[in-house]
Amino acid sequence: MNAPNTSRMIELVHVNRSFKRADGQAVQAVEDVSVAIREGEFVCLVGPSGCGKTTVLQMVAGLLPPTSGEIAVAGHEIAGPGRDRGMVFQKDSVFPWKRVIDNVEYGLKCRDVPAAQRREIAQTYLERVGLAHVAKAWPRELSGGMLKRVAIATVFANGSQVLMLDEPFSALDYVTRHQLQSVLLDLWEEGGSTARRTVLFVTHDVDEALALADRILVFHSGRLIDDLAVTATRPRTTDSLLMPEMVAIKHKLLAHLGLEKPTAPLKVARS
Amino acid sequence: MPDALSSRLNAALATLDPLRVAGAVVFIAAWQLLTLLLPPIILPTPLGVAKRLLSDFWSAPSLSYYGVEEANLYANLIYTAENVAIAVVIGSVIGIMAGLLSARFNLVRVVIDPIIMTAGTVPILIAAPFLLIWFGVGRASAVCLVMFYVIVILYIFAQRAATNLDPVYEDSARTFGATPRRMVWDILVPATVPEILGGLRIALAGAWGLEAIAELLGSQSGIGKVLEVLAGATDPQGIMATLLLLGLTAMIVDAGAAFVVARTAKWSAPAR
Repeated sequence: MNAPNTSRMIELVHVNRSFKRADGQAVQAVEDVSVAIREGEFVCLVGPSGCGKTTVLQMVAGLLPPTSGEIAVAGHEIAGPGRDRGMVFQKDSVFPWKRVIDNVEYGLKCRDVPAAQRREIAQTYLERVGLAHVAKAWPRELSGGMLKRVAIATVFANGSQVLMLDEPFSALDYVTRHQLQSVLLDLWEEGGSTARRTVLFVTHDVDEALALADRILVFHSGRLIDDLAVTATRPRTTDSLLMPEMVAIKHKLLAHLGLEKPTAPLKVARS
Repeated sequence: MPDALSSRLNAALATLDPLRVAGAVVFIAAWQLLTLLLPPIILPTPLGVAKRLLSDFWSAPSLSYYGVEEANLYANLIYTAENVAIAVVIGSVIGIMAGLLSARFNLVRVVIDPIIMTAGTVPILIAAPFLLIWFGVGRASAVCLVMFYVIVILYIFAQRAATNLDPVYEDSARTFGATPRRMVWDILVPATVPEILGGLRIALAGAWGLEAIAELLGSQSGIGKVLEVLAGATDPQGIMATLLLLGLTAMIVDAGAAFVVARTAKWSAPAR
């Protein structure tokens, strides 16, 4: 790993993470996970709650050190959080004490980008997520879906190569969730396939993973148990999700989540 | 800014709320009725107290006769206000810094918590005799007493505000690459300011009373000293006029503090 290998944007090698519970018992949250993610790939992490997917994301973000193993981003082993990796949290992380535009600017401010320049960038991304009209509003005046748009605009404005999203849309209603999925995909695809950022997206929603991902990593009890390529072309429509190979992937995912018997998908896929 | 205008109008209407005025009117009426039953030496009339306040404010020659340095209420009020201001400024800086640090560094918490919790459960007033021995009769002992009180209140408020702050904000700032200095000034301080200023108002309200009591126990000037002298002279009208002045001053200062709180915390839920 001397020369930066951009084709391997994120690399996890034998990563482990254990926690000590309040009663003193050790819990293995992530167990021997090794995976390489290419630059520009949209990867969804799927699994039942408590499977370790959020822990993996927090370790890649640098918010949580692994107990053992190595994590490298763009060829460099990470030590703590960095500006090359942006994160959208499950909870609302928009600072309530800053106006919307100042929130979007905050990452750029931390990089000491000149005020005029960062305002222009922030304005651009607020427009892209459809919130130019509330630039001067306080976050408390916004709905939950709008706050997620602000969070997305903030990480994109910050220009990080790697974006991590931890169940960002799980608390939103059906319509808002689908609107935000297309907002996210539009921003991801903005510069054409060469400029795409690498995305790690944690979700427990199988359909969301199928609509968004190039690749789905399935976790169970802290282990990486499956790695599925999603080859359907973009933009994906309701019909894309009904294509036989997509239905086959969906059956596999449902089986991994324990919602279907593993034998069922094969029959359907071959019929 | 129609928003600011309407909120200002609402605030003006709130102060003119007939119910609020009604409370004061009923109180004064009841007071006036009681004066018909009780002799003036026990209960002076409201009008008498108000007149006494106005006349004593600039000049009260009888006070010098009893050994008060400045023979008027004005200078003594200034003396008391200065002590309150010094104690609140120093005490809140120490209390807020210690409280915020204790919420983020366990070592600080382990060391300071027991001291503050002990000081918080024992009435702080019992420290007054010690302070009088250490610092003598004068500014220092009264300021120290009030400062202790302010430190305890603001330590608890600052610690609670920082402990209750959702870690997602600091995590988020870290992913943006915020430096430790930015973490304090961009996240921790603005996020905890509304709650801390709420504590400051409580500390301020208590500070006036404590300062007056400290002066009552041993001082050459101040509202407390005036009260002590007037009590010795069995002058209920003078005592009530002095108390009224202290109360009005505390109310005005509190209104100012409330205004500042509302201004600095515009982002949080609309203040009521």
